[in-house]
Amino acid sequence: MMENAWIIPLFPLISFLLLLLLGKRLKESSAYIGIAFTLFSLLFSLLVLWERFTSPTYKIGTEWLKIGDLSITAGMEVNQLNALMLVIVSLVSFLVHMYSKGYMQGEERFSVFYAYLGLFTFAMLGLVLSPNLLQLYVFWELVGLGSFLLIGFYFYKEEAKQAAKKAFIMTRIGDVGLFIGMILLFWETGSFEYDAIFKAAAEGSISEGMITLTAIFIFIGAMGKSGQFPLHTWLPDAMEGPTPVSALIHAATMVAAGVYLVAAMFPLFSESSTALLIVAATGAFTAIFAASIGLVQTDIKRVLAYSTVSQLGYMMLALGTAGYVAGVFHLMTHAFFKALLFLAAGSVIHAVHTQNIEEMGGLWKKLKITGPLFLIGTLAISGVPLFSGFFSKDEILVSAWNHGNYILFFLALIAAFFTAFYMFRLFFLVFTGNQKKEAQNVHESPASMTIPMLILGFLAVVSGYVNTPWFGTFLGDWLTKGNHYLEHGHEDSPVWIMLAATLVSLAGITLAYMIYSKRSISRDWLGGEGSMMYNILYNKYYADEFYNLSIVRLTGIISVFFSYIDRFIVEGLVNGVTGTVQKLGKIGSRMQTGQVQQYGTIAFFGLAVLLIIFALTGGIFE
Amino acid sequence: MNEILLSVLVFSPLIGILALCFISKNQEKAIKWAGILATVPALALSLFLYSYYLGGNNLSAFSEKVRWIQFGSIANADSKLFAVDYELALDGFALLMVLLTAVLSTLSAIASISIKKEWKGYFMLFLLLETGMLGVFMAQNMVLFFIFFEITLIPAFFLIGKWGYIEKEKAAFSFLIYNGFGSAVLLIVIMVLFARAGTSNIEALRYIINVGGVPLVSPITEGMKYGLLIALLIAFGVKLPIFPLHTWMLRVHVQAPPPIVMLHAGVLLKIGAFGLIRFGLGIFPEQFKDLSVIIAVLGVINLLYGAFLAFIQKEFKMVLAYSSISHMGIVLIGLGALNESGIQGAIFQVVSHGLIAALLFFLVGVIYERVQTTSLSNLGGLSKAMPLTSGFLLAGAMASLGLPGMSGFISEFMAFLGLFKTDPLLAGIGALGIIITAVYLLRAVMGITFGKQGVSVRTKAMRDLNSVEMVPVLVLLAFIVIIGIYPSILSNPLEDTIQLIMTGLGGQAG
Repeated sequence: MMENAWIIPLFPLISFLLLLLLGKRLKESSAYIGIAFTLFSLLFSLLVLWERFTSPTYKIGTEWLKIGDLSITAGMEVNQLNALMLVIVSLVSFLVHMYSKGYMQGEERFSVFYAYLGLFTFAMLGLVLSPNLLQLYVFWELVGLGSFLLIGFYFYKEEAKQAAKKAFIMTRIGDVGLFIGMILLFWETGSFEYDAIFKAAAEGSISEGMITLTAIFIFIGAMGKSGQFPLHTWLPDAMEGPTPVSALIHAATMVAAGVYLVAAMFPLFSESSTALLIVAATGAFTAIFAASIGLVQTDIKRVLAYSTVSQLGYMMLALGTAGYVAGVFHLMTHAFFKALLFLAAGSVIHAVHTQNIEEMGGLWKKLKITGPLFLIGTLAISGVPLFSGFFSKDEILVSAWNHGNYILFFLALIAAFFTAFYMFRLFFLVFTGNQKKEAQNVHESPASMTIPMLILGFLAVVSGYVNTPWFGTFLGDWLTKGNHYLEHGHEDSPVWIMLAATLVSLAGITLAYMIYSKRSISRDWLGGEGSMMYNILYNKYYADEFYNLSIVRLTGIISVFFSYIDRFIVEGLVNGVTGTVQKLGKIGSRMQTGQVQQYGTIAFFGLAVLLIIFALTGGIFE
Repeated sequence: MNEILLSVLVFSPLIGILALCFISKNQEKAIKWAGILATVPALALSLFLYSYYLGGNNLSAFSEKVRWIQFGSIANADSKLFAVDYELALDGFALLMVLLTAVLSTLSAIASISIKKEWKGYFMLFLLLETGMLGVFMAQNMVLFFIFFEITLIPAFFLIGKWGYIEKEKAAFSFLIYNGFGSAVLLIVIMVLFARAGTSNIEALRYIINVGGVPLVSPITEGMKYGLLIALLIAFGVKLPIFPLHTWMLRVHVQAPPPIVMLHAGVLLKIGAFGLIRFGLGIFPEQFKDLSVIIAVLGVINLLYGAFLAFIQKEFKMVLAYSSISHMGIVLIGLGALNESGIQGAIFQVVSHGLIAALLFFLVGVIYERVQTTSLSNLGGLSKAMPLTSGFLLAGAMASLGLPGMSGFISEFMAFLGLFKTDPLLAGIGALGIIITAVYLLRAVMGITFGKQGVSVRTKAMRDLNSVEMVPVLVLLAFIVIIGIYPSILSNPLEDTIQLIMTGLGGQAG
């Protein structure tokens, strides 16, 4: 089966092409095509994963492009990480395909939506199968295209247009980093293949400075895709897209591609402690930075978006502190519980037709399925024991502690507190308290939406048990087996870390309960709305404003400056030349006086000048 | 048949001119059909040659050579000297250019159904232009090259000046003056070489300049070689165009009728790149090597300068015009890198940009026909009324900004791969252009298609692409995607050409 893994991305591609051609006629039955083809992908992915448990890594490649003596190959590779990613991506994509059938009902461009979903799934599956950096880059850009198209799905909305543009451009800034890093590595090693690069890095045939430099460039690419500070601002805006898209692309899969990239290139990063430190510090800072913004947002999807940014920061922190398994583990659990949260949020939005959590409340009784599922997701992300997020977050904290960087460890701990607090703030505001008048005619969503949520809810609970300090670290053992570039991820950890993590998350939950449910603490206890701190957080540290005033403004200034050069210097020069020619012409015409004496004089002087020139140079016949 | 195949290919459009003579000038339909059909033989023949070459056969079987003009006889010189032959031949690079020309000519002829007046004169000039373009790429000596080169100028001048938009005359004169200047410089180079070496055959000149050992009528000094190369750089720099010789082409892009802009951006500008590679790099490789840093710097300037200016334009055609300047920077970057990757990237960019520019300008023509404007502030929300046009416009923009899976990425990638090898810092600066390209293209294209409906869009009854208009769009997009996914269909025919260039450079490996 593994040798046929290349067929997995082709299913959604076929779905994309079919829907482009036939979508107009199929209308809402387009959904069945999309669902069927992603189901094929999912089944094949499961088979590949199953086979990968027992077989070694499978890799094929063939020449794609020849440049002189250089040969650039294309192919695919099925190693542990890829096989795991295949299942995560195709599973979430399948569930989102199913969910969208209900959610997007009545949408005029229904088939287009499914076509785009197919395109995205194709690119994402292609990305994880790539055996080399160039091929990864190709699919990397294509997932960006899918994301761009889906954010801008409601193209007539100005916000959607701006958000799509921003997403494309901000991620492209990162992409150029990846582009440069990839090419520099190529000239160092003569190959884009991961294996060749790791071999060269391990053998020391790349200088240490170069390893650090290329690793940083590649990390810039990962920062763009995974919304790491300072390239994070596009991700919350991407919530303008339909909610199922937010679940698939901007929570579970594409944004995790940056983490995947660092994980896939981990042997290179691990050769440079500077690069690792940068990854860890960026991750930790982003984790707490985004979490603090999430504390005060009032749009249900934005809160989730900032929590995604924050959780991605966690994963980066894990990788940066050499916690390869911890990073990948959290990537997996996060994919499940965050997709669950987004789909549940979509179900809420579907019911109440608003995204503002201040306008919601008391939905627990009305949404009998969505409510408990949202709670499961919230418990998982908050790191409450026995839920999946608890185990993966614990791994990360252990990794940060064992790495010896205590500042980062405490940042991560505080971020965990924030996470528990704002997630339960969200939960209490939406599901408890009094029902608002907007929420009168509320119904639970149809089965096509609740079934995918149930599956994800199940996974959000159990997926943690594949790697626990209590029952065994199956995932970690398997991920690192036979890969001599990776050390085993899990190390024995002080028990107090697990206790601390639990306490911190319970503290966050309790505080949220006191403020937003029991209301025994005033909402304004820390300054409240209108205070400076609140404004800074609510306006996301003014990052967008800062970019508008600096980079965007600068681009405009350079452009205007160039346009002046174009208009005055370049055109001026040309006009000068034509002007001179005209003047010369006028002088010439002025000489045409008709007076023979004057012509004679000029002819005489001309002859004299010619003779002098000949006399001095010796004439043409040397 | 083999001995005259290339001549038939070059002059086949003239048959159309002959046929047009017999059609009354009011028979619009017949004229347009004749015009379109007359481009088909060249297309069929070039497709045949392409498949023949890909099949592993040698193109030299088609070379033609006939003694044409003998310039007097100088007592102490060989009688073979100072003769100009009529000689046509193809190598991989020239073949690709011929194919590009033939494809774009047919598609542009189809696009010309939107021409509103004096169809007869239009198509006669159009077909003459095609003959000129085809000949340029096949000519084996510089005199013949120059003649074909001039044949392209005159029809283009009239096509712009008569069938263009409001300021068409000004644009046509600007076109003529700049290109006339470029031609004059080129003519000087040709004459100096011809006078001193006694031949204008490209192959012979390559040998004389590089290997030497051939008695010349008059010596060509080292300094003179640099002078000649710089003159070539100026002559073809006008055409490409290289900053600061670019302002004329802005006017042409804005004022010329869309089908002509397709040909102009798609093929005529590429003659500049072709000339630089064939003559500059081909005849003067040693000197080119010394100037390569300057060429790469000029490339980065073109790339960034065009991109920044495209960012603030208020008119979509101007955005695309500056975008052409910016994209020609990639050609220079590849040439400046002067390794296999860079040169291959430059040639890829020549072909790829030809296709992409043609696609975008065709769509511009379609939009202009519907709303009579391409001003960004009057457009907006076009996706609602014209979903297909908008979708293809977005696809064209994606191709232009170098989205992988499309041809633009391959050329950009190879050019930068080349320059990162020779000059990483300069390449790093140039890579910023990749970001700005995305910024200006999305700004323009999303401004037209996304968001609220603009003034002009709201007030007009709109219809989407019709089936005739779908033909050029689908053909061009298919080429763009095929090259993007399977670049070997371009790189295989280029192997020999690039090998030859690398040999000229002294076997400096990629």
